[in-house]
Amino acid sequence: MPRMVRGVAAFAVACLAAGGVTLAPAQSGDDPLGVGRRMLLEDNPGEIWIDKGKALFHEKRGPKKASLEQCDFGMGPGKLEGAAARMPRYFPDTDKVQDLESRLITCMVRLQGFDEKDVVKRAISPARSSGSDVEALALYVTSRSNGMKVDVQLSHQKEYDTYKAGEYLFFRRSGQTDFGCVQCHGEANKRIRLQDLIHMTSKAGAQEVASTWPAYRGAHYVVRTMQWRLNDCVWQMRLPDLNYGTDYAIALTLYLNRNGNGAEMRVPGFKR
Amino acid sequence: MKKIWLIGGAPLAGALIAAGCATYPDAATTRQIAEKMVHESFTASPAHAKRLAQDRSQQICSKIDGAPLTQEEAAEVVRLARASIRYPDSGKLMGDWKRGDKLAHNGAGDRIRRGKVEKRKENGALCQNCHGLAPGEINVGNVGPALTGYGVQRGTSEAIVKLTYERIFNPWAFTPCSNMPRLGANRHLTPEQITHMVAYLLDPASPINKR
Repeated sequence: MPRMVRGVAAFAVACLAAGGVTLAPAQSGDDPLGVGRRMLLEDNPGEIWIDKGKALFHEKRGPKKASLEQCDFGMGPGKLEGAAARMPRYFPDTDKVQDLESRLITCMVRLQGFDEKDVVKRAISPARSSGSDVEALALYVTSRSNGMKVDVQLSHQKEYDTYKAGEYLFFRRSGQTDFGCVQCHGEANKRIRLQDLIHMTSKAGAQEVASTWPAYRGAHYVVRTMQWRLNDCVWQMRLPDLNYGTDYAIALTLYLNRNGNGAEMRVPGFKR
Repeated sequence: MKKIWLIGGAPLAGALIAAGCATYPDAATTRQIAEKMVHESFTASPAHAKRLAQDRSQQICSKIDGAPLTQEEAAEVVRLARASIRYPDSGKLMGDWKRGDKLAHNGAGDRIRRGKVEKRKENGALCQNCHGLAPGEINVGNVGPALTGYGVQRGTSEAIVKLTYERIFNPWAFTPCSNMPRLGANRHLTPEQITHMVAYLLDPASPINKR
């Protein structure tokens, strides 16, 4: 019974989240995608991945047959409420600034004994697959901050260093397209073809970034994470392969999330 | 008093951090930290690693928050851009607008996934991603200005053809640090491909110049 109540509540939240969106007109004989699009607006399919992530989180898995219940996301072992809203942050046990995804990998390796290379290789799932463990776990852990405010703090020197590095990288142009992030994300109301671009140098834009990942990606039928998003940008920029969980992505994420402080977390987001 | 004693060395930074006085690194330190991140975060063959390194113009054009260029910097970017411009062997700068039309709507080419460069006959010119094109075309971006009717007022004089060619080959020769890629200078497009883009923009028969 409690499970059902939670389900209803989740549905209600999804409906509220969709409340601000104008539904497509009902007659859609000439728009074969219209029906599906309306259904997606009414209920985010990404919700399914929350339960999957929750099960994975509590299950004893890996060579060490351990759950992730002892994983510390910065609020103490197993404390998930509000943890993702404060990430990336500095972790003394790794002496690194980590985002949620790289932290998950640390725990899967250290607590559960998974092979790091193997986890990283599978972290970003193929389109139309049932998704990766990391994607589901990242969504579950982030969902435990839903309704809370993004609150990324700088206190350790490495957090200050990483924030500034993220800012530097946001504006850093290289490669044969001469693109940095700002070339597409530095102005309001811009599009690549018909795809809206988030204006990330504005407070509202940074808040949208900070509060909507992981997100259900309609075109891929799967939940995607911030690291996936950065990977895809880098690919379009014609840069070489960005390795999963590395400092380039963590720095950009810290920079954007910190600028997005104050936004209310609401995952899974919904993206084209 | 103690703090004054410590000025001038690593112990100061350590003491400040211990005292909760961590703070933003200066520009030089930031650069060092961030460039190390770039160096360590990608997997790239030596040939592809070049895409991560910045040339002089890119360094100048990466100002935080779009801070204005100094006069010297702007002049240097323009000078380097002018020096980069090459023309096709044929000397003919106005190509085939039909081929240009196709290239304008092609956003593919030279992307890297798992170490492999995508296989295409030629790179697309990427125009559609950012520019309005023929009248009535809806699936176009707006990061750059619309090019609709580009040739109508300009005509096809030799000077206009040359200017258009050069602007595509290296836009930074005219607008230093503009958002537009230096398509020719970076070898994303060949000189011959650029002649087709010139025709697409200027030829009166091109859809871009129709009403």
